[in-house]
Amino acid sequence: MNRLEKFYPLFPVYFLYGALFLFGQYTKGMWQAVALAAFYAALGQAFNVFLGMTGYVDFGYVAFMALGAYGMALTVSGLYAVTWLGGGMILVGLLAAAVFSGCLSVAVGAIALRLRGAYFAIATVGVNEGFRFLLEGIKLWGGSEGIVISSKLREAFGTDGASAISTFWADVFVFLIAAFAAFLTLQYMRSRIGYALAALRADEDAAQVIGVNTTKYKIIAFITSSALGGLIGATAWTLKLTYVFPAEAFAIHYTVEAIVIVILGGAGTLMGPVAGGILYAALKYGLGVTFPGLQLLILAPVIIAIIVVVPEGVIGVLKAKVRGTALEKFIV
Amino acid sequence: MALLQLNGVTKRFGGLLAVDHVSLEIHSDEAVSIVGPNGSGKTTLFNLISGVYTPDEGTLIFDGRDITRLPPYRRAHLGIGRTFQIPRPFGTLTVRENVAIGAMFGSLGAQKRVDDALKAADERLKLVGFYEQRNRPARELTPVEMKMMEIARALAMNPKLLLLDESMAGMPPKEIDTLVTFLKSIKQKEGIAVIAMVEHIMRAVVNFAERVIVLYQGKKMLEAPTAEALSDPRVVDVYLGRESEQ
Repeated sequence: MNRLEKFYPLFPVYFLYGALFLFGQYTKGMWQAVALAAFYAALGQAFNVFLGMTGYVDFGYVAFMALGAYGMALTVSGLYAVTWLGGGMILVGLLAAAVFSGCLSVAVGAIALRLRGAYFAIATVGVNEGFRFLLEGIKLWGGSEGIVISSKLREAFGTDGASAISTFWADVFVFLIAAFAAFLTLQYMRSRIGYALAALRADEDAAQVIGVNTTKYKIIAFITSSALGGLIGATAWTLKLTYVFPAEAFAIHYTVEAIVIVILGGAGTLMGPVAGGILYAALKYGLGVTFPGLQLLILAPVIIAIIVVVPEGVIGVLKAKVRGTALEKFIV
Repeated sequence: MALLQLNGVTKRFGGLLAVDHVSLEIHSDEAVSIVGPNGSGKTTLFNLISGVYTPDEGTLIFDGRDITRLPPYRRAHLGIGRTFQIPRPFGTLTVRENVAIGAMFGSLGAQKRVDDALKAADERLKLVGFYEQRNRPARELTPVEMKMMEIARALAMNPKLLLLDESMAGMPPKEIDTLVTFLKSIKQKEGIAVIAMVEHIMRAVVNFAERVIVLYQGKKMLEAPTAEALSDPRVVDVYLGRESEQ
């Protein structure tokens, strides 16, 4: 495999993101829908690194996005007066987001990842609600009132600058994070990490006997996935909405949506979560426009039908179809 | 000095004594068969050696290190490779990838990068005559093919000790002969000690092992050179009884 060939699978992924971006830019009134699709695709990709590659389900995933959102909000409210930082403040915020969610994931992972399968899933359910009640209970980071950064953004970047950040740049960041997540996923897949994860996903005991330190590789996937989730929370929520409320940031339905997206597209594949995220956003948005009020009632059976018909996901099926053809190198 | 040393190793499951104070020594480049009827504790003994279980009593020494409490992957790093009685392939991966994982994560000095591991896997697969199958998903193999793949995967780990759990069960006699010849050559070339669990196939035991350890109801009943063990009246009683009547 030559140098460039290794990156072939990124071509269709980046093509989809590029097409989505251009579609949003040049179609009037579609930017919000496109931003939603990018958010779901990024969310799917971030979650896939853990759910898809290890086969473990983390029901507390949204807590890592929330912590990332807080990391950005705290950075902006702490540093908005430091004028020489300029746009660098956003970079500091992104770093803080990744560190916040990364630290929580180390703490949760070190304990919970010693558990297997369903026991792990049960353990993580509590993390999300527990953390939210902790914040509200001890009134940390604004307690239940959260943190509002709109005035601080205006002070730092001016009215126009602040508005550009929340209506355009926040979404661009989400695209960039999604692209980065795809790159990272491919790097993992092609390295010892990917093989270790594939082995433990197939048979954890056998993987151990072959020499795979399964806990170590699960934690690597968990931290990566959580930090990416934190970056998404920092941009798609804090920068875009200009506030963080615990009741919204810890909303468990984002975790459920992330699971649906990964499975729709194809767990453990590179392109699956991208296709799944765009498909999910299109269904949700399209049904919301055509059948307002009834969208969830229709969406649920449609998703169930897709999962029953193609349990390995849209890309899982495509991958099997192109096996042995020239397209094989592009769809992974 | 022995490569592997078990001192009074005991494992209980509730009230059942699956392995009862077993002590044994295995030397480098030795081929030993552990035989015994179903339920005699063979697989439990393997699980104790590979680290799937930790013993309730006794100690295990491997290559001069106490491994009694080490998790399975650490034992793999030290050079213990094994196959499973009921094959456990990484089903979604190809045969080649399965074997390559052995080369990536096996013995510490021999762990390879992905590209090198895939190359090493190809070599191992050629050696066991399985190269043509390399791109098939492992779950599509027949049970006998899976056993061959598991041997290749364990060998790719560059082990000092290879544990074969009923690897020859279900194989046609001709393939058993080929496998035994192959294992003997591997043992000689690479200085690997091999312990094979065998329940039924006496011919394989004779051709393969220099020494036989007989397990019966979790206890070591006998340990002797192969020819001697097979003619021991106690062995004939508990183990060969049915076959000698045929």
